Amino acid sequence: MSEKRPFTRPIASDWWAHPPYRAYTVRELSGVAVAVYGAVLFVGLVSLWRGPDSYGAFLRFLKSPVSILLNLVLLAAVLYHVVTWFQILPKTMPKLIVDGKQVPQARITTLVLRAVGFGAVCLVLLTIGFAR
Amino acid sequence: MPDAALAEKTIELKILRYRPASDAEPAFGSFTVPYTDDMSVLQGLQTIKDTLDGTLSFRWSCRMAVCGSCGMMINGTPRLACNTFLRNLLPGPVTIEPLNNFPIERDLVVSVGDFVKKIESIYPYIIPREPKTIEEGPYLQTPAQLAAYESFSDCINCMLCYAACPQFGENPDFIGPGAMALLQRYNGDSRDGGRLKRIDAISGDNGVWSCTAVGICSDVCPKNVDPANAVNQNKTNSAFDFFLRFLRKEDAQ
Repeated sequence: MSEKRPFTRPIASDWWAHPPYRAYTVRELSGVAVAVYGAVLFVGLVSLWRGPDSYGAFLRFLKSPVSILLNLVLLAAVLYHVVTWFQILPKTMPKLIVDGKQVPQARITTLVLRAVGFGAVCLVLLTIGFAR
Repeated sequence: MPDAALAEKTIELKILRYRPASDAEPAFGSFTVPYTDDMSVLQGLQTIKDTLDGTLSFRWSCRMAVCGSCGMMINGTPRLACNTFLRNLLPGPVTIEPLNNFPIERDLVVSVGDFVKKIESIYPYIIPREPKTIEEGPYLQTPAQLAAYESFSDCINCMLCYAACPQFGENPDFIGPGAMALLQRYNGDSRDGGRLKRIDAISGDNGVWSCTAVGICSDVCPKNVDPANAVNQNKTNSAFDFFLRFLRKEDAQ
């Protein structure tokens, strides 16, 4: 007689809260910061459309301590999201072969992050230049 | 195997036992084994089976990370018992469980039937792009064309990636990292022309879109196959195929 009686252990419902999965969870949650950042910009656009009074109120909100703290937190979260996003980038593309050899994934991440960082700094400098 | 009888040091192994004929559910059993610095966890298990409890069940074959039989959860991480050394797990106790996300057959032995079916479903062989006769000579390939899929051909079907994948844990029908690595081994081969046969395995309900890029599958892989790369580059392929499927001349099979 067969003794076969496979036992299925359920996956822990809080798997996402523990290492090594915690880093993944934080990475995905940092995406919410990107959305909130976008929402703040969108509110600014709407207030600009509604007129000078509304836009002035939006600017006053931006200068408030609460807003500055919020923006610092959002900036940190968005930067984390950007870095981790480009860490995954090599996983989402075919292997990059140069001279018959695979380019290491860390090298791709480093190069792209440098390019993105350079682009971001240029954009900030351009914006400051236009604002003057 | 090293002469465990000569060893002076001992280490405690806590092993999740399950004997379907007598146990309602798995429970931990504790064994204290003598060890030497060159002993693997697998050799620890063999020592238990030889000297302490002959009923302990586990799979193994090659003892050198080639056959992929001895995958198990060691201190909560999916690892091959043969290339995990007891000296690195001091002072213990070492927790040993069957691979996560798989039904337990007995002790450390899990059911592999569903995984084998997935492997079969992806046409795991070269379907020549242009069939040749022997007289026409071999199928040639450049080193760059080889490098495009080579890591994926290193898979030893040990299923550690499945034990590391929470999405497979949530949905056992998910094709999973290992089968997708093998699929990419053939799809990425310049000699192969079977892409359309394999597109359903990629784009279907239990295909690559069940993956959320957790990425631990690649971290635990003992052969650096990088299954996460295989799964995630096929998301791009799946998206391309969705938009460009009207342009192709043949139907998916």
